[in-house]
Amino acid sequence: MSTSYIERSRGSCALHGALATFGAIEGVVPVIHATSGCGVQYQQGVTQFGGAIPACAAWGNPLSSSNITEKHVVFGGGSRLREQLKNTIKLLQGDLYVVVTGCSTEMVGDDIPAMTKEGREQGWPVIYANTPGFRGSIHRGYELAVHALIEQLPGIPGPELPPEPGLVNLLGIIPQQDPFWQGHLLGLERIFEAAGLTANPLLGLGHGIDRWRRLPQAALTVVTSPWGRDGAQLLEEKYGTPWVELHGIPVGARATGALLDALAERLPVDAARLAAYRQTQESWFERNLVRIAPQYYAGGFQQEFALVGESGFVPGAAEFLVETLGLIPKLIVITDPLAEETRDAWAQPLQSLVDTFKAKLAFAEDAGEIDDLLRASHAELIIGSSLDRPVADELHASFLPVSFPVANRLVLNRGYAGYEGGLAFIEDLGSALLRGRSIKLI
Amino acid sequence: MSAKTAKHIAIYGKGGIGKSTTTSNIAAALAEAGHRVIQIGCDPKSDSTTILRGGNDLPTVLDTLREHSKVKLEDISLVGFKNILCIEAGGPVPGVGCAGRGITAAVELLRELHLFEQYEADYVLYDVLGDVVCGGFAVPIRDGLAQRAYVVTSSDFMAIFAANNLFKAVAKYAPSGGARLGGVIANGLIAPYAKRLVDDFVDRTGTHVVGYVPRSLVVNQSELYGKTVIEAAPETDQAEIYRGLARHIVENEEVTIPRPLNGPELKAWAREWGDRIFSVEAGEIREQEAI
Repeated sequence: MSTSYIERSRGSCALHGALATFGAIEGVVPVIHATSGCGVQYQQGVTQFGGAIPACAAWGNPLSSSNITEKHVVFGGGSRLREQLKNTIKLLQGDLYVVVTGCSTEMVGDDIPAMTKEGREQGWPVIYANTPGFRGSIHRGYELAVHALIEQLPGIPGPELPPEPGLVNLLGIIPQQDPFWQGHLLGLERIFEAAGLTANPLLGLGHGIDRWRRLPQAALTVVTSPWGRDGAQLLEEKYGTPWVELHGIPVGARATGALLDALAERLPVDAARLAAYRQTQESWFERNLVRIAPQYYAGGFQQEFALVGESGFVPGAAEFLVETLGLIPKLIVITDPLAEETRDAWAQPLQSLVDTFKAKLAFAEDAGEIDDLLRASHAELIIGSSLDRPVADELHASFLPVSFPVANRLVLNRGYAGYEGGLAFIEDLGSALLRGRSIKLI
Repeated sequence: MSAKTAKHIAIYGKGGIGKSTTTSNIAAALAEAGHRVIQIGCDPKSDSTTILRGGNDLPTVLDTLREHSKVKLEDISLVGFKNILCIEAGGPVPGVGCAGRGITAAVELLRELHLFEQYEADYVLYDVLGDVVCGGFAVPIRDGLAQRAYVVTSSDFMAIFAANNLFKAVAKYAPSGGARLGGVIANGLIAPYAKRLVDDFVDRTGTHVVGYVPRSLVVNQSELYGKTVIEAAPETDQAEIYRGLARHIVENEEVTIPRPLNGPELKAWAREWGDRIFSVEAGEIREQEAI
């Protein structure tokens, strides 16, 4: 067992990942079965620094929590949960209630499946996810939430939904942990729509549990981070749905084009329509690149950069920065806790870029280690989280916060996926590079 | 706070080995000798002090804590034989909640109520549930609560196994101020090899036996009367054995840190004894001498 510790962690625990996920589905009401601090930490931490919160989560409704105390630990918290569930259903209107558990109630062994079954027997639409923090990171919480919905939602009576042809499930984007989660989903939705397909984003504004009921109808699942694999595999197992894994969201024209090619290969799409769309978008994208030329050259955009973020964003962003914008990579850090074999797989597409520029690729989640890597990189531009800002200041480097935690940006629907996302990334990057510029009269 | 400092003693052992009977009889013998004694049952079964209080009802600490926000000492204690203060920590129903945390919560409450100072006890005996299955059941030997721990064992392998586990817990906590081992109480020995087996085990683990308690009908009879042997049959040899244990506890404060056997060692040791016992059962007289 490792005795090392993580300094200034960039992610919370499994419970919070599940809360962020369930909270991003309209009509889903999470019921926390834990001590009071578990919910408070979510509200005070995760919802503050991960962009705008899901419309229906935490703030829109009060967060329901059983707030167990010592007597519930000693004697079991089953009756407290029953009471909390009953009161939540009376007070908060929802299409689905999900009991999520914290460490204490799992250690004690409260029988949550039996409690939720009891609820269902009374006609309540209630499921559960065992999400004690010790099961893993916020990413694991996302996996557990997705797993719980795939497994248990079919047991909740619902309407018959007409089939949606060309439906593609999207998995791997974790609300809040990816501060641009809503924008990234919208960006991907637009790409699929243009290809004549229908994205099933599962999360975000306007998407309720009906989207999850449609999971079995999908022709394909697209996974944009290793955290979507578990769900995709389960869907394949249960419904035979094939799945494809992207190395992060596609940023800009090149990666988006590659995604469209991959979709065309696997699904019946209107090739002529797709080609026309691609041509229009690429031309539009290139003309926009030309538009920034004066600032690009005068502002010295071609800088040496360090990129710090999660596996769902870093590969696409790095490729875009280097191949499209001509920036020079010095350091790339992937911060989510990936399994050893996953690390190797995700390092592979970045390898040629790293070799060409003699850049460093690291997998690290410890802020102290990342600080040292950043210092050693001497980067002129740091694209990372707000935790990396002090080192950026120290190096007098330009700084753009994009990864959790993001302390001082307000993010609603902004995202960096697709053609428009690429341009948005250029805008944000350019603004960061030009931050120190003032008008000098000639 | 009282100037008097109570001696806290924890008694562990496998379930059903006779811990509560032994502890209650030691408590009775201590009280009979003029000491002020508190006995705290740390077991959800809450029957540790039954034979000290003639079977009178005693609400457990945890049940009381569950029902009332404010708990008074008189709600959770009962004065039994020779003024022994009886307390039962209690716990959840089997299969629900966390009994280990229950022990911690109960002991914390007793501290908050200044029980030990208020009652001016000379001896506080903790009668702790079976094996040390989790951190909660180690509470009496952690945090400097009890100074000494005794383990009750028979010559059954599972009882020895539980004793060895307690040794592990003592060895773990003793360096940071936890209790040390006062010794082993060998209880209910019947088999001809039983004494030698227990003696060999304590030798191997760097501990010692503080008393041998033979199996006796007097114990069963007294229990059926709802009393300790000290109360029900004070003139018997068995009562004298318990008095001997009590005297040992008063007079000998020598403690050790045991050297528990690890898994393979314990297994090899048990196997070795298995072979020896089998030879005896097969009638090899020569071998019996070796045992």
